[in-house]
Amino acid sequence: MMKFARVWGSGIRLKYAPLKWSNWYFAVLKLVGALLLLLIVALFLLLRQNETDEQRAALIADVLWLEQSVNFALEGTTEQVRQLADDLGREKNQQSLFALRSRNVMKSSPGLEGLVWLDASARLIDATPTHKIVRRGYNGLSDNPLAESQARAIEMASKLGKSIYTDAYRSAEKTQFEVYAPIFEDGQYRGALVSVYSFNALLQHIVPWWFAEKYQVNIVDSNGVLLASKSKIRTVSSTINYTIPFDPPGYGMELQITAYRSAGNLAPMLIKTLIITLAAAMFFSLWAMRGHIKRRLAAEQALRSETAFRKAMEDSLTVGMRARNRQGLTTYANPAFCRMVGYAADELIGAALPAPYWAPEEVQKALSFQDRVMAGKAPQEGLEMRFKRKDGTLFDALIYEAPLIDADDKHAGWMASIVDVTARKRAEELARQQQETLQLRSRLVSMGEMASTLAHELNQPLGAISSYNAGCLNKLSSGNFVTSEIEAALVKLGVQAERAGRVIHRVHEFVRKSEPKLALCNFAEAINDSIALIELSARLSRVRIVADIADSGAQSIADRLMIEQVLINLMRNGIEAMSDTAPAQRQLTIALKQGEEQIEIRVADRGSGIAPAVKEKLFAPFFSTKVEGMGMGLNICRSIIEFHHGRLWVEDNPEGGTIFAFSLPFDQP
Amino acid sequence: MTPRVYIVDDDEAIRDSLAWLLQSRGIESVAYASASAFLDACDATFAGCIVLDVRMEEMGGCELFERLLERACPLPVIFLTGHGDVPMAVSMLKNGAFDFVEKPCNNNELVDRVIAALQRDAARRQSAASTESLNLLLNELSTRERQVMERILAGKPNKVIAVELHLSMRTVEVHRSSLFTKMKVRTAVELAQTLAALSGKPVI
Repeated sequence: MMKFARVWGSGIRLKYAPLKWSNWYFAVLKLVGALLLLLIVALFLLLRQNETDEQRAALIADVLWLEQSVNFALEGTTEQVRQLADDLGREKNQQSLFALRSRNVMKSSPGLEGLVWLDASARLIDATPTHKIVRRGYNGLSDNPLAESQARAIEMASKLGKSIYTDAYRSAEKTQFEVYAPIFEDGQYRGALVSVYSFNALLQHIVPWWFAEKYQVNIVDSNGVLLASKSKIRTVSSTINYTIPFDPPGYGMELQITAYRSAGNLAPMLIKTLIITLAAAMFFSLWAMRGHIKRRLAAEQALRSETAFRKAMEDSLTVGMRARNRQGLTTYANPAFCRMVGYAADELIGAALPAPYWAPEEVQKALSFQDRVMAGKAPQEGLEMRFKRKDGTLFDALIYEAPLIDADDKHAGWMASIVDVTARKRAEELARQQQETLQLRSRLVSMGEMASTLAHELNQPLGAISSYNAGCLNKLSSGNFVTSEIEAALVKLGVQAERAGRVIHRVHEFVRKSEPKLALCNFAEAINDSIALIELSARLSRVRIVADIADSGAQSIADRLMIEQVLINLMRNGIEAMSDTAPAQRQLTIALKQGEEQIEIRVADRGSGIAPAVKEKLFAPFFSTKVEGMGMGLNICRSIIEFHHGRLWVEDNPEGGTIFAFSLPFDQP
Repeated sequence: MTPRVYIVDDDEAIRDSLAWLLQSRGIESVAYASASAFLDACDATFAGCIVLDVRMEEMGGCELFERLLERACPLPVIFLTGHGDVPMAVSMLKNGAFDFVEKPCNNNELVDRVIAALQRDAARRQSAASTESLNLLLNELSTRERQVMERILAGKPNKVIAVELHLSMRTVEVHRSSLFTKMKVRTAVELAQTLAALSGKPVI
């Protein structure tokens, strides 16, 4: 319990800290989430970029390879043709040589449509595979003026002595270009060998299947017109393409390579999808968690403030709270209880029985009470017990016990609420004394009123009597009177005398009503009853009352209430006389002794005694040594005792203090 | 109305015995059972004195006395007080009561006080009567005679009076002798004494 209390205590100090923590925590969480999202996106972009770059690199490598292959093929063929041209310039049997060699060249040269042998004036001498090679300028198509490019090529070839490429042209649904290789015979230009290439055929033969599968290969002229294409599949726009000049043949022709959109790898796609899905799931769960945590925090906060509230409530209580386990050991004590008994909570918790705050004289009572409580028979109306503070002072406590049920619905022990009733008792006692004083005072006031009324009531008839009397005397002395009138006046005088008598009688009646009621009185019982009445104030003043009753059967005719009044008066005086005596010495002894002729009761205190000067005036009315005293107490006591034909006196206590004693005759009527 | 003693007491025995006592000394009395009964009956013709009991039902003696003072009733009042009423009775004396007697009292002493009160009242009535007659004489004086009289009383000689009133010596002398005749005096000293009785203080 106390452990909880400590945690609660720290909880109050950290009242607002958790909220800050959660804010900070949420902020970081949000930041991390956002960063994670950003990084994932960045990663994807990067990967994509990488992939594109890689693709592009591969593309470029492939394109370069293609270009090289094309160049190699073209240059290889051109070289063969040039050698054939050289050989034709040296050989005699030119026709057969051409036929033989041209076929070889055709076989080894991909994309070569045909080989045409022209003389120096550009007339056809021979051609492979046929003379009907579809070629501009030398057959049906040659109606067009000889293409300038052809003419320039022939011219350049003849002049430079090396192979010259022509521009592309279209012929019979084919796009072609030509290569002129000059034939020199002894340094004389003798014609040219023309290699006719079809772009399509070239692409068909040079571009391998794996390349075609990945890329679309186009050849475009300088105006961007498509000359040939490897694949018929139209590519949708693709970012990855590459264009390199197609040289030879040159003339601004370009080799355009476009990558097909790759179908992509299934595994990375799957992983990506999974990552995105999982990330989404994670964010969703985080979001859900956030709500959950928020609710939890709110609940925690509510619990904490509730706990703080309870704690504050508990601390502010003036009622002491004490929990005990089923073995009767204290497990918890609230601050009010600690203040009440003056022990720290640590000293109380787990303290062995008897508990340190039990008054030594009440340990037995406390133990039996504890047994009753543990047996579940705690009194509903609570129990009053004496507790001892750490400093040794005693106080009266009112204890209510209730079962303590823990969180598991188990009976864990007993919770007691303890109220310090000392002040209340003192107040009650004070109120009672004041009430008594007030009653006495009001009795005196009414006595005064009665006396005043009595005086007036008596004055009237006495005044009348006196006047009648004086009148009669006057008449008699004057000698001038009639007997009848004197007689009438005297009769009236008599009536007034009777009236006065009635007033006196009424007073007597009134007094008789408050006369003592005499009956057989057991003095031992009277003493015990009086002690019971005074015990509370004795305990408050920490005075022990000892009744020393030698003969419990002592009885006599007396007004018991009056005797008790005397006893209480004397005992209260004794208790008040001992206020300066050490607590251990405060003992009031009431002794009852029955002699042969009288009963004697002695009330002995251990106070400071009475000075001789005071002793003389002790019984005088309106004499008091007390600040608030009326000085009637002892006077009334003595009146009562004297009414009973007894005697009240005071003597010194040989053990210190004073003894008030009274004796009553044993054989009174 | 002949002077008598008015007894106000709510106790029948007291009223009757006091009446008997007073009658034994030859004094006439009337008794009233309450203060209000007396107030109803009382008028300016009443002469004599009042004997009041302080403690009465309804209206007490003190209150009745105050009412009488309000009415300017000139009758002397003797209070009968019980035991303990003395301080109150003393305060009534200061207010003009004639006397107070404590009950039970020496009865003849009370009668003596009553007689003294009756004498005082008789003297008062006597003086009231002479004042009235003097006033009648003064009313017969003319304005001039009054002016001359005032100056004679101020001790001025005829010559000075004549100058002040713009009259001749002769006229002043005529007025003087005329007012002396009307006031039934022969000398200025006698005139002063007569008027002093009226104002209650000696002029010379």
